Amino acid sequence: MDDAQLKKILQNMDTPEPNTEEKKRAVNEAVSEFKAYQKEKEKNFQGMSILSRLMGNTNSNNGRNAMERKTRKNFIYGGMATAMAVVLITGISYVQLQESEILRDTADISLINRSPDMTAPAGTEAASQEYIDVIQEENERNVEIAETTGSSALPTPIEPPVGVRTVPEQEYVDAIREVAPKRAQLQSAPMPSASSQQRRQEFSKMIKNLDPAQADSTFLPTPIDDTVQNTYQDEGRDKFETFEPNPFKMVSEEPVSTFSADVDTASYSFMRRQINNGRLPQKDAIRVEELINYFDYNYAVPEDKSQPFKPTVTITDSPWAEGKKLMHVGIKGYEIQGERPSSNLVFLLDTSGSMNSPDKLPLVKNSLKMMLDNMDDNDTISIVTYAGSAGTVLEPTKASEKTKIIAALNNMRAGGGTAGAAGINLAYQLAEQNFDEDSVNRVILATDGDFNVGISNHEELKGFVERKRDSGIFLSVLGFGQGNYNDQMMQTLAQNGNGVAAYIDNLNEARKVLVEEASSTLFPIAKDVKLQVEFNPDVVSEYRLIGYETRALAREDFNNDKVDAGDIGAGHTVTALYEITPEGEKTSVDPLRYGNADEPVEEQKADTDFGGEYAFLKMRYKLPNEDTSKLITTPVTTENEVALENANIDTRFATSVAAFGQILKGGKYTADYSYDDVIELAKTAKGEDEFGYRAEFINLVRLAKSARD
Amino acid sequence: MNDPQDKELIAKARKGNAQAFEALVNKHYGTMFKMAFKWCGNESDAQDITQDACIKLARGLDSFKGDAAFTSWLYRLVINTGKDWYKKHNRHPSGADGLETLSTKSKSEERLYAKQVIAAVQDLPDGEKEALILVMSEGLSHKEAAKILDVKESTVSWRIHEARKKLGAQFAKEQSHG
Repeated sequence: MDDAQLKKILQNMDTPEPNTEEKKRAVNEAVSEFKAYQKEKEKNFQGMSILSRLMGNTNSNNGRNAMERKTRKNFIYGGMATAMAVVLITGISYVQLQESEILRDTADISLINRSPDMTAPAGTEAASQEYIDVIQEENERNVEIAETTGSSALPTPIEPPVGVRTVPEQEYVDAIREVAPKRAQLQSAPMPSASSQQRRQEFSKMIKNLDPAQADSTFLPTPIDDTVQNTYQDEGRDKFETFEPNPFKMVSEEPVSTFSADVDTASYSFMRRQINNGRLPQKDAIRVEELINYFDYNYAVPEDKSQPFKPTVTITDSPWAEGKKLMHVGIKGYEIQGERPSSNLVFLLDTSGSMNSPDKLPLVKNSLKMMLDNMDDNDTISIVTYAGSAGTVLEPTKASEKTKIIAALNNMRAGGGTAGAAGINLAYQLAEQNFDEDSVNRVILATDGDFNVGISNHEELKGFVERKRDSGIFLSVLGFGQGNYNDQMMQTLAQNGNGVAAYIDNLNEARKVLVEEASSTLFPIAKDVKLQVEFNPDVVSEYRLIGYETRALAREDFNNDKVDAGDIGAGHTVTALYEITPEGEKTSVDPLRYGNADEPVEEQKADTDFGGEYAFLKMRYKLPNEDTSKLITTPVTTENEVALENANIDTRFATSVAAFGQILKGGKYTADYSYDDVIELAKTAKGEDEFGYRAEFINLVRLAKSARD
Repeated sequence: MNDPQDKELIAKARKGNAQAFEALVNKHYGTMFKMAFKWCGNESDAQDITQDACIKLARGLDSFKGDAAFTSWLYRLVINTGKDWYKKHNRHPSGADGLETLSTKSKSEERLYAKQVIAAVQDLPDGEKEALILVMSEGLSHKEAAKILDVKESTVSWRIHEARKKLGAQFAKEQSHG
């Protein structure tokens, strides 16, 4: 083999294209680390006690104020590379540095020696030949040993801090000279050749020479950048699937509407958070059905779990469109009575650097502690984290061993990058290891955004979760934080893992999801719940499903048990609203001038009289451990009709939430129905509202009035 | 020597501009990933190493002084990160599980041969492997490689010589057999 051949092989070596998801994740992690670093730098400057001491008669407060009075142009601060040897010239009014560019750059020098892990190629002076030779020899020897023993060797790098002297770079020294008025003084200032002691002496001499009167106007160094935030903040990278509200459909053209149940609530809490921050959420963040389903409604409950739920249908007038009606379909899942199954839960927690903010990891910890209080002694909990390296923080442990679990929680820290595929594999491994057919086996993922666990391809990940679901281990996803929130990914995962996607923005929400609704969150009573509504063209001319855009199913999927759909937990409620135009009222879509050519009109209808029927509702579901679906049907007739003001409070409240969601989404179909109208309607439908969720909703609508778009 | 766009981004990032930093990482992720892949021969390790390197870059950028090409400096960052990564995970790079994804654009026999060569390169001592990749695959001069690896130019030459010797012996033998 010759050189050319070897070269050819190495150059033609196929490297895979970088994966875009991986890339995004790496960039995100790096940027959050970058921001954290900028903050530290800022802190380091403020904390430089040597400076404040040398400032003499100013205290640090004065310093800050002075700084804020933007007198910063009056001084140059240069940190020489050798750590704390700081050159300071103050109180010289004729230095007119407009922007403290130089100041910042020179200030950076003092940080060089502190940056970890990195060699300092800048302005380094090579170590002595002897030194290099020694290491080289050592390395070669190690390699030889490794070769004979068949092991491996890591060479000792020749790099700082050993053997290399760091000197300030000429370009910075020049910069200082250029702008410094006291040129002479600077030139006599510590130069690389001077010993550190000499430097210190020079330095203190300079400080003493300063005019105390002028020293008054000295100040602490500015933060590195005015834009540095106090907490990690990451904006504009929240990811949502884009979709348009469902349009009106002509019953004559498409009489059947099919969709999957959805009990997620993430969209509501995300919206709440945005509005509480004075901003309207982005339109794609609003899924109206999740807003509606955030609330608990008192629909009729089935008596036993063989038929886990029954639908309640109400028809009222539409409050925002004259002549139209709302068809309100409500389902409440069977509540588990008495003994509930034990659970085998594995928490998979993202502890990467970006989780290091009060509304993320600390909130996760507190949420879990709260949940722990409400678990049965026989339940098993395990905790796996991924960041830096994936690891089991807590082996499967009975919930009765509270102290052990709490200690494990307390020991978690956020930091570092992600370890890759190991995390999710480990979590499922633990769940499998502890698998109990009679329990609920579930992996619960808590993350702030990208599901950075190594399997980066969405489809691959979906497949993985699906396979595990079929083996009886379900997945739920809890979202935390803001700015980097990957809503779409979370939805996909939870849907494919037969789980719930919830967004936790505060401890109260954590209590709602993990404690109060724990049984619905954790214990599925039915899976693959699908709804299909067939409208009667004699009575209804057009319809529009409010929300559920991302849950639409094809008509033929309804009877296909292979098609996955939403799951319902114990006590969950699912509500769907259709806006319908009764026959004879003004339609939103113009009817066809030439009619429907292939429609075998009139004759067929004569057979049976469905005159009193608006529609026919069908539901399919599977019991959690079955693979064949069951069917529930019910006709919707004029008997279901009631005036809105006489409808029960749940119907009215759901209507107000639907209106609000649609307005937030752009109000395409709600005409001039306003926030005030929403408030009025909701106020009449507050009911008992034990935990104040409905009151909170009304308050949110008020806030939305003044929120920025 | 440096791309003017890089220069601007680096300067801005060093003043604390997070957007510039993000743009910089975005721009160079591909280069870093490819380097990491060549170095460790395994896609998933390469992804992790590249991610770690990006994170290190957040703190390390301050020490880049523009005296060398930024990409060379990145090579060095990636290689050092890779070493740390394997130290931390307590194993040694082995191209074995990544080998399936390695292939050349040539015919199957040659391809098999290339696979074996690449695997053999992965098995070389780190120093030799790095020198070989930088010089043979990235097309750097011995001098440039020396700078990146922080060794003398003569060391690079020597390592390449050693590597060639080992590969030569191994493949001369195999070829005569096969």
